[in-house]
Amino acid sequence: MSDLISLNLAGLDFTTLPQQLVNGFLLGAIYALVALGYTMVYGVLKLINFAHGEVFMLGSYGAMFASWMLGFGPGGAAVAGSWVTLLLMLLMAMLVSGVSGFIIERFAYRPIRNHPRIASLITAIGLSLLLQYGGQAFLLEGKKQAITSKVNPFADDFVFTPKKADASLIEQAAKIQPEVDAAQRAFDEQMKNEKSKFELSPEGDRLNKVLATAIAKRDDLKNQADTSSVTIRLPKGKLIMLATTIMLMIGLWYLVMKTRMGRAMRAVSVDFNASSLMGINLNTVITFTFILGSVLAGAGAMMYSTFQSAPIDPFSGTAPGVKAFVAAVLGGIGNIPGAVVGALLMGVAENLVTWAGYSSYRDAIAFVILIAVLLFKPGGLLGSNKVEKV
Amino acid sequence: MTQFNFGKWFGTRAISILVALIFCFLLDKFMQGADKSYGRFLMSLAGIYVTLAVSLNLINGITGQFSIGHAAFYQIGAYTGAVLAANKFSALAASKPLLWLLLSALFGAIAAGLAGLVVGIPSLRLKGDYLAVVTLGIGEIVTIIAKNQKSLGEAYGLSTAKIESIFLISLLAITCIAVCRNLLKSAHGLAFLAVREDEVASAAMGVNLTRIKVTAFVIGSAFAGAAGALYAHTKAFVSPPDFSMDVSFLILTMVVLGGTGSITGTTIAAVVLFLIPEKMRDLPYVQMGTPLGVAIGIIVAVVLLRKIQESFHGAGSVRLARNIGSVGSGAVVAFIMAKLLVMVPAFQGQINGALFRMPVLAITLVVLMLLRPQGIFGHHEFSWSWVQKLLGKKAPETEVAV
Repeated sequence: MSDLISLNLAGLDFTTLPQQLVNGFLLGAIYALVALGYTMVYGVLKLINFAHGEVFMLGSYGAMFASWMLGFGPGGAAVAGSWVTLLLMLLMAMLVSGVSGFIIERFAYRPIRNHPRIASLITAIGLSLLLQYGGQAFLLEGKKQAITSKVNPFADDFVFTPKKADASLIEQAAKIQPEVDAAQRAFDEQMKNEKSKFELSPEGDRLNKVLATAIAKRDDLKNQADTSSVTIRLPKGKLIMLATTIMLMIGLWYLVMKTRMGRAMRAVSVDFNASSLMGINLNTVITFTFILGSVLAGAGAMMYSTFQSAPIDPFSGTAPGVKAFVAAVLGGIGNIPGAVVGALLMGVAENLVTWAGYSSYRDAIAFVILIAVLLFKPGGLLGSNKVEKV
Repeated sequence: MTQFNFGKWFGTRAISILVALIFCFLLDKFMQGADKSYGRFLMSLAGIYVTLAVSLNLINGITGQFSIGHAAFYQIGAYTGAVLAANKFSALAASKPLLWLLLSALFGAIAAGLAGLVVGIPSLRLKGDYLAVVTLGIGEIVTIIAKNQKSLGEAYGLSTAKIESIFLISLLAITCIAVCRNLLKSAHGLAFLAVREDEVASAAMGVNLTRIKVTAFVIGSAFAGAAGALYAHTKAFVSPPDFSMDVSFLILTMVVLGGTGSITGTTIAAVVLFLIPEKMRDLPYVQMGTPLGVAIGIIVAVVLLRKIQESFHGAGSVRLARNIGSVGSGAVVAFIMAKLLVMVPAFQGQINGALFRMPVLAITLVVLMLLRPQGIFGHHEFSWSWVQKLLGKKAPETEVAV
């Protein structure tokens, strides 16, 4: 356990921290889209939809196949994408996810809705396994795929520099530059008399070493200058991703808070049986909730695989799915704003673990957070600690 | 119960233990020989899976706590055995392999039991779904730690001494079954069942919920740890993928298929579900249409069976005939569709048949939940009175419904 415990604080590079926080926030926005699906389904059905990660996976396949159809496949002719390409991919991913969410609800969860809850949980696990391993057999032999970065025309970055590099260091590096140039010239002169680069005469060898030390000194100073500055790079694509996410969430808020269907959803999540007595069609509401959650997951999947360049394979839904689920629990499962808050925290936490040099543990952090939340605040950050009635 | 007869009580137990020992010994002798090495391997693993499934059944089926991270404790036991055999006890492992194997199982059980205690005390306050997720998380965390620790061989794994002993493995399986069965016949066991049936009611009756749950969790984990230590020495090698989430799900499927709570069902399901995927490893390449056709056949059979379950209220024999008829028509549809689909050019691609090992498990789980959520055996156990009833005699006494 020794290498796990010996956290080396001195080794942390605080100048890259702001960039990691921003990356974490952007990643968290995608987790939020997936977490909303978990939290809404839990709110309505009190069911942990383990297959939600696989709906996400199917959505990313949908986006990839859409990009292939538009000519970005292996050997495709298209050169550069536009916003239309991205929009079509997004719509395709949402369609595929929505349809698979509908099918899962209709044919697997609905028939056993009246069975004990454990039965639905086992069904969910079974469906998740079925989609993963069935995908391994049927979806392109389960090989790792990726959406080509050519579809994204917004690849350049906005660069912010909140803290400039140390001017004296740059100056020093500039002062050494003539020294480097001189050494280079001397070495080039000597090279004319040498047989080859690899068989140097003693004089050539000496000049070569002088040149190498000068370059090393300059690069060292440049590195120091770089690390003393704080730069944040914001790829334009990711900003578009963030804007889309925010728009989808506003849409969701409108749907849940302002429409009849949203009111029915909220009613069902408060009291399943009473709402059915009040004339709400439970089947419609539940189907609608599943489709809504799945569509959001599909949107998240498209953005995750396009802008975060995540590879796609039949198992690629598990990790984001689990993290989104943890995010939903962290925020208080069944609570829609909670899912968003939890997801942003999850994204940041994950990037902080990577930043601290434990990138191999970045998948474990989700479970550590989950266990900590469940032990100390089982209701989540924004959830209520309900007392179970007998 | 009229009078406690110590001689009879002791005699029954002594004879049972003797019979079990002789049985394991004979099994071990029978499986010796160079030509039976594969059979020996299969039998060892089947024994290990029986132990794992029955120990998970104690947690999931009998006490009603939904744990899906059993592979974590299996892994802790396996790594304990492997690390100790490679470092501190290498001399003992070389000179007295059987004694070491016994000790190794003991160490594995202690380590996993302690881990179970540490995990169980805080997390068993959680209910149903949440407990499931926490145990799933613990399974993942243990695997990730093993993957990243130098001393545990990282992702490459650890090799250790190879010690095969069907005797000890079958003895462990039998011990596990006996402990669970005897527990159920005792007053303590009734408390376990009460917790499963209704936590609030059993707490009102004076059952200490936390103690019962933690006891079940620790006993289950300890058996899994012992099984892990034996596994490490059977295979002489442990690596993280041997204890992934899939293994947890495989064990869970065994418990659910056999009937949550039924030791008999779990044992049978463990052997069957271990052997089927093992045999599927060497399936040939098939054309894509075949599995699709089979899937359609399964869907037809499930839909028909559900219709019968929902709407038919007739005599048992008619019902049985209809059920068999639905399964038969499903099989016919599967056969015809497979033949037809293979003719379509789009479905003629080749697929590695071995890839269908896990989908078979998954389909088993889903179909089982749709048709018989309580598992094949339900809560029933094998008993001699049941055999007598089958042979036409009346049951001598009513047993406690288990």
